[in-house]
Amino acid sequence: MIIKNRLKLCAIISSVIMLTALVMTIFGYGINFGIDFAGGLSIEYNMNSAFQQSDVETALSNQGLSDFKVSTSGADGTILNIRIPKLDSNEEIQVLQAGLEAELLQSYPNMDVDTSTASYVGPTAGATLVKNAILSVLIASVLMLIYIAFRFDLYSGMAAVIGLLHDVLIMLSFMVLLRNVIQMNSSFIAAMLTIVGYSINNTIVIFDRIRENNAKPSYHSLPRDEIVNISISESLGRTVNTTLTTLVTIVSLYVLGVASIREFSLPIIVGIVSGLYSANMINGYVWAMLVEHKTAHKKSKKAKK
Amino acid sequence: MKVTNRRRIKLNKRTSSMIALAVLLVVTVFAGYVGLNGMNLDSRGLYKMLPWIPQTNVTKDTWPASIALGLDLQGGVFVEYEATMSDELKEEGYNFDQLLDNTMEIIGRRLSDKGFTEATVSQLGVTGIRVEIPDVTDPAAVLDLIGSPAKLEFLDYNGNVFLEGRYLKTATRTVDENSKPAISFQLTSEGAQIFGDMTAKSIGKTITIQLDGQELMSPSVHEAIYGGSILVTGSFTEEQADNYALQLQSGSLPLDLRQDRLDTVSATLGDDALGSSVNAAIIGILLVMLIMVWRYRLSGLLADWALCLYIILLFLFIAVVPGIQLTLPGIAGIILGIGMAVDANVVIFERVKEEALAGRPILHAVRIGFKNAMSAVVDANITTIIAAIVLLFFGTGSVQGFATTLLLSVVASMITAIIITRFLLTHMARILKNPKLYMTPKKMSARTAATDVKEAK
Repeated sequence: MIIKNRLKLCAIISSVIMLTALVMTIFGYGINFGIDFAGGLSIEYNMNSAFQQSDVETALSNQGLSDFKVSTSGADGTILNIRIPKLDSNEEIQVLQAGLEAELLQSYPNMDVDTSTASYVGPTAGATLVKNAILSVLIASVLMLIYIAFRFDLYSGMAAVIGLLHDVLIMLSFMVLLRNVIQMNSSFIAAMLTIVGYSINNTIVIFDRIRENNAKPSYHSLPRDEIVNISISESLGRTVNTTLTTLVTIVSLYVLGVASIREFSLPIIVGIVSGLYSANMINGYVWAMLVEHKTAHKKSKKAKK
Repeated sequence: MKVTNRRRIKLNKRTSSMIALAVLLVVTVFAGYVGLNGMNLDSRGLYKMLPWIPQTNVTKDTWPASIALGLDLQGGVFVEYEATMSDELKEEGYNFDQLLDNTMEIIGRRLSDKGFTEATVSQLGVTGIRVEIPDVTDPAAVLDLIGSPAKLEFLDYNGNVFLEGRYLKTATRTVDENSKPAISFQLTSEGAQIFGDMTAKSIGKTITIQLDGQELMSPSVHEAIYGGSILVTGSFTEEQADNYALQLQSGSLPLDLRQDRLDTVSATLGDDALGSSVNAAIIGILLVMLIMVWRYRLSGLLADWALCLYIILLFLFIAVVPGIQLTLPGIAGIILGIGMAVDANVVIFERVKEEALAGRPILHAVRIGFKNAMSAVVDANITTIIAAIVLLFFGTGSVQGFATTLLLSVVASMITAIIITRFLLTHMARILKNPKLYMTPKKMSARTAATDVKEAK
């Protein structure tokens, strides 16, 4: 298979995905932030039998709460999840949990009180998390830029980092598009950084080949993006197979894993696919564009003189 | 003469390669068996090698004891606090880091005194404290102990509060001059002044020390006490003195704590998470192995062999190195690491294939293929390592668990891919020389076609 330069088409496809996510966010259908970012209290009970959500809602109202979300999960729908966005102190939680359990036990004596899972996150934790997320992606990207610029050249570094940021933006966009399926929690930061470190691997394999081909005397007369075409085609077996092996492991995690593992593996799946796409369809051509632009610039300078 | 000589050497090389592979195969099978089942080192079973590789459908009880599980898999409570220093302490020029250490020490002592001996208290970032207590599902009991510090008050003979817990630096059990149990406490300089002034006015009377409104003790004052170093004697037993000292100390956590996070994981949910992720790992590994054999035939089989060794070694490493706890994201890191582990092999095998297709004998192809692939393999792994290190610095709790195992598995996988796979492939190439064994025939024709097209251009 011979790959061709389709940079414009790819730019359109990626922009459409990102713009859709942006528009959804503007209209209030943005990322579905989980408890790590949004704060509040989340409790999970195994009810051991079917239950009415309205019963739980009444019990919560009786505890003096108005702002809460009740949902059901588990294979046979016996797991009760409660989210309460605003709660300040730990004493409040204990009083609330005790009251709620006492009331629910009356209607559902089978419910498992001892094996509940509760998470509480304070209101300021989310801001720190966002700051850390942005900072860590930026620092990692700068380090990648420096490393690639050192091993290859500055333009390769720039092209690779453009690819990375593209992948991270695609991951964020899919967090918006899949907002009904997945919540964003602190594990998303781990997912982003994994992709920053991983998706560059394919780019490196291709850039390695570009560097090799670029040095071949027989290719000197070819335009840069033709060399990129050849290099990508030659590396395709590599990039597809490496992605396939990693994708297989992470997909089996997603299929078999528990909720918190799914939250983590889905963004990674998106990132890995996006990484394969950007490495083969975008990064090399961006590099070619940057290099051509520079040589054209030099030539025009010379012409002026 | 010469010719026969060369032949003999060739034959020897082939035989020695066979022996080398056979020995490694025995080692692999043996290590795998011991890893899964453990082994008695003497006939009476006094010295035992514990198993370290998890099996299918694993639960907390069947999990290898040699690998410590994190709280999310074991069940338990963890709390994160954000510590701040009060303005008074700031003005007195206290060192925040020192006070944070003290606070963590007090929390740790309080927990272990109450029987939570497996609890760990660690620093989180610059100003945070993280407390983990395994095997507890009722956070209330624990939080009562840490979360809401008791209020310490000193009352004068009229029952008015004249000094509070924040003026207390330390309280410890000691003995008085008659070797009877006593409590010694140290006040801050400001507290010492207030206490001195008050005792000067109260000679012959009693002052009262209250904890959360309950009277702890009412010692009588014999003289004015300045200097802030106070010895309280009374009719305590040793245990009471200990408890009082602890409670006094508790009343005065040096820093203000705000609870930022609380997580309770029940042991059964931990079991679900553990079992399903280990099963996911096993299925993922098998699929990766199949893909490798499908794509690269004999080379793929050798890569699978190296992957088995990698898994044995990685878990052995996790079991042996102290302080590594396996968390749920940690398992995810390992699984992802396994997917990445074979990446290096893919890059190498594709290079080998290229060289073989160019007509080189397979042993040469292996050598040159490894040499050409090395820079891409090293570069790719270093970038992942960079990302994992950044994550170690910025991540909290569970994210760090992921970063740790990802880092470990990337480093281990690079080593196995480069050293073990090369060893296996070089020896195998001496035994079986047909290049077709090392690649898929279909792929081969497709690739020649592509090369043909290029050459035609």
